[in-house]
Amino acid sequence: MELLILPLVFALISYFIPSKGVKYFGIIASLAIFAVTIGHLMNFDTKEYVSIFDPKTNLPFGLTFKLGYDSLSFILVLLVNSVVPLILLANFNKELAANKSFTALVFFMQMGLLGVFLAQDGMLFYIFWEITLIPIFLILYWFGEQNNNSVLLKFFIYTLLGSLGMLLSIIVLGISASSFDFVDMAIYGVIAPAKIACWVACGFLLAFAIKIPLFPFHTWQPSTYTTAPMAGTMLLSALMLKMALYGMIKWMIPLSFTGIPTIKWLVITLGLIGVVYGAVIAVKQTDIKKLFAYASISHVGLIAAGIMIYSTTAIEVAIIQMINHSIVAIGLFLAADIIESRTKTRELYALGGIAKLAPNFGFWFAALTFVSISVPFTAGFFGEFLLIKELFTAHWFAGFAAATTLVLGAVYMLRAYQLSMFGAPKLESFEDLKWNEILVFAILLAIAILIGLFPQCVIDFVKPSIEAIQELTAHDLKIIK
Amino acid sequence: MDALIVIFITALIGLFVGMMKKPNLTLFLSIIGLSAAFVLMSYYGKYNSLFNNFEGLAFDSFHWLFAELVIGLTLLIIVGGFHYFKKDVEHTADYYGLILFSLCGALVLIGSENFFMFFLGIEIMSIPVYVLVGIKKQNILSSEASIKYFFTGSFATAILLFGVALVYGATGTFDFSELSSLFDSNSPMAIVGILFVFAALLFKIGSVPFHFWSPDVYEGSPDPVTAFMATVVKVAGLTSIVSLFAYTFGAATDVLLPIFYVVTIGSLFLGYLSALKQTNFRRLMAYSGISNTGFAMLTLLSGNFITLWVFLLGYTAATVGLLIISQILEKSNSDEIVNWKGIGYKNPFLGVVILISFLSLAGIPPFTGFFAKLLLLINTYQSNPVLVYLTLITSVIGAFLYIRFILNAFAKDSNAEKITIHPLHILVLSVCSLVVLSGWTLILF
Repeated sequence: MELLILPLVFALISYFIPSKGVKYFGIIASLAIFAVTIGHLMNFDTKEYVSIFDPKTNLPFGLTFKLGYDSLSFILVLLVNSVVPLILLANFNKELAANKSFTALVFFMQMGLLGVFLAQDGMLFYIFWEITLIPIFLILYWFGEQNNNSVLLKFFIYTLLGSLGMLLSIIVLGISASSFDFVDMAIYGVIAPAKIACWVACGFLLAFAIKIPLFPFHTWQPSTYTTAPMAGTMLLSALMLKMALYGMIKWMIPLSFTGIPTIKWLVITLGLIGVVYGAVIAVKQTDIKKLFAYASISHVGLIAAGIMIYSTTAIEVAIIQMINHSIVAIGLFLAADIIESRTKTRELYALGGIAKLAPNFGFWFAALTFVSISVPFTAGFFGEFLLIKELFTAHWFAGFAAATTLVLGAVYMLRAYQLSMFGAPKLESFEDLKWNEILVFAILLAIAILIGLFPQCVIDFVKPSIEAIQELTAHDLKIIK
Repeated sequence: MDALIVIFITALIGLFVGMMKKPNLTLFLSIIGLSAAFVLMSYYGKYNSLFNNFEGLAFDSFHWLFAELVIGLTLLIIVGGFHYFKKDVEHTADYYGLILFSLCGALVLIGSENFFMFFLGIEIMSIPVYVLVGIKKQNILSSEASIKYFFTGSFATAILLFGVALVYGATGTFDFSELSSLFDSNSPMAIVGILFVFAALLFKIGSVPFHFWSPDVYEGSPDPVTAFMATVVKVAGLTSIVSLFAYTFGAATDVLLPIFYVVTIGSLFLGYLSALKQTNFRRLMAYSGISNTGFAMLTLLSGNFITLWVFLLGYTAATVGLLIISQILEKSNSDEIVNWKGIGYKNPFLGVVILISFLSLAGIPPFTGFFAKLLLLINTYQSNPVLVYLTLITSVIGAFLYIRFILNAFAKDSNAEKITIHPLHILVLSVCSLVVLSGWTLILF
């Protein structure tokens, strides 16, 4: 339970810390939460389910308020709790870090995200899912670019619309199963009539497709990412869209299992359209932040398509890709922000020759670029390779479309790097990296290489719970194959 | 009963004390009286009245919860509106007296067990409000609102009486418990009768198609009175609608259902869609109130009082908080939304109240508004899924409206000033926010 309460307590405390000390407090507190998570990890056997809150009394309307984690949830909890310190560290030398509200909102956000990954009750999942919307909305509004009201309104209403679809699905399932407990709902999900299950799946899909975002629902994303402050973009891309991918694995597929075959290829197609579409637009972008936003659409489209294959390997690899995407998102948006804050422009053609002026930045940006285009021995290589293989097994054309990401990814990333870093210097001076930025890049690279060298540790970690979820739905698995 | 007597006596004493022109004393008296009434009502809910056998008045298992709600709301409104009432020293006591008399009517309406008490309740509740609406005598809008409300309101009362007469003619009784067994849904006279009663009640709560008065009247009246109309009157009206038409006239469901759909869906959409174009804050709250009435009317389908109560708790707490803030902001009688620009950013306390009130109205968890709507949807889904889809669509429109308002209230680049807030206002706003934040925990008990 302390996992969930600590961020909330820290959020409240940060209002009582003098402005000077808030940034130190933020780092220390987030590291404390990380340490607690490590403590949980030490006592955690990947095969078991750990309950952290279970009121066991009869609550009205079949609400259960169960919280707990298995290995699938736990790896995402670990991801959240390690990414939040990195985000605070990346902001350390900015004006923002001294702002009490900012620190408090980040912790509040962390609480919401942890709740999403820990919830074992459909309604609780929805509640935490919506709670995350409040802090991110305020972060974008207070610390983002001025006059972004219309962008924010679009973002908020779009996500809220999607969430209401999910709410409807959860209500339908909860009433049919007369309980909002995950296990009860999953048991109903296996026997539900295909027609109902299909609509339930569509409701979930609406929420997840908007949050991920999948191809036709992505229009909020580039403008929101560009007007957001760096921390907001990082939270959105590195953590918030993981909620949707996690939701697909843990909630959508098991709970509407009989309806999944109907929409399986729809989602895969949308995901793959996103892969190509995002990449092609990224190739033509000249705004570096927008470029990374479209690159993100391309990456997550592949993950979503992979998840819908729903074989054990595909999901395990999708999780590796999710971690990889978090690393890449933080690294690239940090790089974009470094460029923007020091040159006051995001136009690629206005930049050039930065590598000469700031060799450190040149090196670390290059390293992250390579992680992003998944060269061997980084996390992405293994993940993308196996995802493409799984898609290829399902249909040759799906594999083919997915494989374009390898080529196009290299094109837009190397183009972005080359235009900004090489060539004749167009700037007079460029301040090199500060210690905190180097630290963030180094940690990211270390994790990427670690997972690239030993992907099996992640796979072994999540395998038991994925197999458990698949066992829940096992006797119908032949339909999907 | 005891609560009713205490409130009535408090109001009378308050009027006499008013002659001394000591506003603080009047406020103090009213607070004591209302608190005593609150305690007595809880005692009544738990054990029973000190006086038994009041003809036609009973606060059974759920009704006393609603009675508590209206008493609590009135307490908040008179404390929050104190600053406003005090400005007019000559008439401070009038405000308190009229509000308390109206509250008596609301209590009678909630507890009524026959048509006689029901009619008395509606009248006692309405007449002081007609006066309160027009209490800003120099203000032309206020007088217009009062006249408008009085004429249409008395017309509604006439229709109500006509309906009651028809029902009496068809069944030969006033008593609700006898009516529920004697009521014959094949008798046209009885059907026309209950339709008239329904229409009159819809007028009182300001629901489509009898909502036209509410934006004008809200705009014209002082903020505390608007808060009173938007909360206490609505709570009393909705309680009696649900207990009449879900229980007493449950036999007429088939006849009422199409009308009910029109009324609910009309309120839901018309309220929010009209609110999109408003520039005046109280008009906005009026339209938002129309939509919320539509939400509350959904409980007619299931007849679930707990859901209705939680919904009204969330709605009224947020509305009272916002209208009190509107009163704090009000300068030179202008109530434009433009005045709110940047208020939340410059005054963090007001900002928090505005934020959570609007998020709760928009139905974002973890606020009371969300849980209320959730229970509402769960209840409604079992009887009519289509209504749930429509409700969700209106929720999105509502969220758009409220979020746009929040964006306006938190704008950074504005010349909003820092406002010093009276401690009483801080108290009232804190209570409202607390209810909005954690009122939903009450459903766990």
